[in-house]
Amino acid sequence: MPRYVELQQRVEDLALRLVLAGTDSRENVDNWIEAIGAIHNGAVCEGATEAADAATALIATIQEGGATDPARILQDGISRLQQALGVHQPAEASLAQDPELLSDFILETREHLASLESQLLVLERDPSNVEALHAIFRSFHTVKGLAGFLELREIQKVAHEVESVLDLARNLRFTVSPEAIDVILLSGDYLKGWLDHLESVLQKQPSRCPDPDPNLLARIAAIPSLQLATPPGSLGSLAAAVEQKGRPQLTEAQPSLPSETAGEIRRAEAKAVKVDTAKLDYLVDMAGEMVIAETLVRHDPELAKVKSPRLQRNLGQLTRITGELQRTAMAMRLVPIGPLFRRMARLVRDLSRQFGKPVTMETEGDEIELDRTIVEELADPLMHMVRNSMDHGFEHPDAREAAGKPLAGRLLLKAQHLAGQVVIELSDDGRGLNREKILAKAVEKGLISGEENLSENEISELIFKPGFSTAAQVTDVSGRGVGMDVVRRHIEKLRGRIEVRSVTGQGTTFLLKLPLTLAIIDGLVVGVGAERYIVPLFSIHEIFRPKADTIWTVQERAEMALVRGSLVPVLRLYRKFGVVPRSEDPTEGVLVLAEVESQRFCLLVDELIGKQEIVIKSLGETFAGAVGIAGGAILGDGRVGLILDLDRLFRDKTGDAAH
Amino acid sequence: MPSIVAESQPAPVTLGDARSGKYLTFQLGREEFGIRVLKVREIMGILEITAVPQTPSHVKGVVNLRGKVVPVIDLRLKFGLPAAEYTQRTCIIVTQINGESGNILMGVIVDGVSEVLSLTPSDIEDTPDFGEEITGNYLLGLAKVKGKVKILLDIDRVLSAQDLHHLKSMLQ
Repeated sequence: MPRYVELQQRVEDLALRLVLAGTDSRENVDNWIEAIGAIHNGAVCEGATEAADAATALIATIQEGGATDPARILQDGISRLQQALGVHQPAEASLAQDPELLSDFILETREHLASLESQLLVLERDPSNVEALHAIFRSFHTVKGLAGFLELREIQKVAHEVESVLDLARNLRFTVSPEAIDVILLSGDYLKGWLDHLESVLQKQPSRCPDPDPNLLARIAAIPSLQLATPPGSLGSLAAAVEQKGRPQLTEAQPSLPSETAGEIRRAEAKAVKVDTAKLDYLVDMAGEMVIAETLVRHDPELAKVKSPRLQRNLGQLTRITGELQRTAMAMRLVPIGPLFRRMARLVRDLSRQFGKPVTMETEGDEIELDRTIVEELADPLMHMVRNSMDHGFEHPDAREAAGKPLAGRLLLKAQHLAGQVVIELSDDGRGLNREKILAKAVEKGLISGEENLSENEISELIFKPGFSTAAQVTDVSGRGVGMDVVRRHIEKLRGRIEVRSVTGQGTTFLLKLPLTLAIIDGLVVGVGAERYIVPLFSIHEIFRPKADTIWTVQERAEMALVRGSLVPVLRLYRKFGVVPRSEDPTEGVLVLAEVESQRFCLLVDELIGKQEIVIKSLGETFAGAVGIAGGAILGDGRVGLILDLDRLFRDKTGDAAH
Repeated sequence: MPSIVAESQPAPVTLGDARSGKYLTFQLGREEFGIRVLKVREIMGILEITAVPQTPSHVKGVVNLRGKVVPVIDLRLKFGLPAAEYTQRTCIIVTQINGESGNILMGVIVDGVSEVLSLTPSDIEDTPDFGEEITGNYLLGLAKVKGKVKILLDIDRVLSAQDLHHLKSMLQ
């Protein structure tokens, strides 16, 4: 709204300038055109179509007959502008009346844009794929219809242009060339910019609408002339068709939209229901609680005394149902990873052009499902890794030819279930990791002394060290100081692990091992004194009872344990948490060897109590600063157990040692 | 002039009517306190509390309230009274307070719950000026009922601001 007022202000200013300048205005016609052009852009942003049209008309008149009486023309034009702005309700105001409709529109249009992006890539590989073409056409058609309904003129206009061009292609008037796909992708990006803008407006955050690209519409309209090999005979007819169709008018297409659009929306709605994620999380939470409550009841000693087969049967039934309920609730949070892969496909396409490295991308396991949060959080690290592969992994075509490899590189993104985890594999057939270079770099950066005898794997692992970045030169794609260590931190935040395998000259494979869900983890319940804590199982390497010669002290302060020939720092949990242990003698306790961010350390606890699936709960802001505690969980007996944050526990300890 | 004085003493002076309403009263040592009934979610007997390490002594830990993890503080320790054994009468009053990110539940341990009182503006008196250290800013006022004085607490201020501040300063 304020910008609409600002627009009005600017027109008023213009009118004032006209009065002040008088007839001298002839000399700076260009200035006038520029100022009116700015108002035009502003008007487009605000959805004030009439004002925009008035501005366009005014510019045209000035350019045509500027010599005769510019002051007069300007006066007329500006008063028309004032009128237009005065009567027209800004788009935002009318939208604000129904934010729900708008947010539905944003959601739906995003889905359409995502799906048409992947379809475009299909089309690029196989221009004769009529189905993909139809799908893209339908997406634009639907977006146009929805935008028209909400009076989002700019979106409607762009979608309409693309749609009419695609219609030509659909009627086999021309073949869609990669250049054409570029332009269509660009329009998609432009629409995405608009969606972002609308979203911020909806959330009442300041945002500028995307700058209207004056050339975009022209470029879209010019697509048919970009066509690749069409039979020479048809060229004439094509040109005629384009001419005839020309720049199609918005109005003529509008009446045709309701039936088909509405039908599509209804069909999509029949298959899916949109639910607030907070409600979903609550359901998952409650289902988890129900499982625990059920366990409490079933193991109640009072109940165990009752020897009734009927009770046992009914309890068994209850167990089955609660288990099923929990699984279903969990499954509701899962989404397929396919859309994320398709986003990467777009990235690969753009980068492969930018670097001049032809790369084909393949995906497998698009249907594998993961927790929504994980898929969302995975986008950034995955994008970074794809960039790395494109930038450093693949050789240039001539180098590939010299190495006897196919010219086009091959990038594989694959998801699969493996031992209760989801493993995402990103492999390229590029040059592989250069171990000598990595070693040299690590020594240079002071990460290692250079005297260690490192295995090939250990050398590869060095790329995950903070402060390591192999890029010899900084490009705008990778090597911006954000290295693989950030990627790893991201993955570990999702309770996953990252591994790298590489064969020199044959390529590199990154493996991301991720949990299916974030809501439930496997925890090891350990006891220290009267307290019980939960250690996340995924970061535990091994558990053992130390012997007298396992533990060594360093200067009577720090302690180390000798585990399989290497020394690992020991952290006594009771000391850290100020709990009275059952015994201070380590040989009567248990050492838990954990690994966080490739840092290994041992945790000394009194005893192991058992393994349990736990639902993680936040302790809330009261304990936001509690060091070493990641959250709480309800244990089998109904008490709250605290989940240890190993990373912070360990780092905090190193901080103590420095004091 | 009087208006300026009123402004410079922000909270209690002009609240007269806003402070009337129903209060849950409870004992702490030899004193009686009251908090707004609207702030109370439920009252339960003492149950097993899981201690959270490295927190101030009045933060007793967390309890399981039907699947929710709720922090519990001991109001005696919070107010600097000597610690007492928990008895049959000891209660946890679960209150809903305004946290930094919306409403949160928090339990307070008190010696025992007394009754619910309806207080009219005439029952309530402003807190006398004891000086900053004693009153803090979490006293709503004092109520005189049947010859006894009840101390009315602004539980939001007692719990959120102070505790959070305390925790944060401890960590720095």
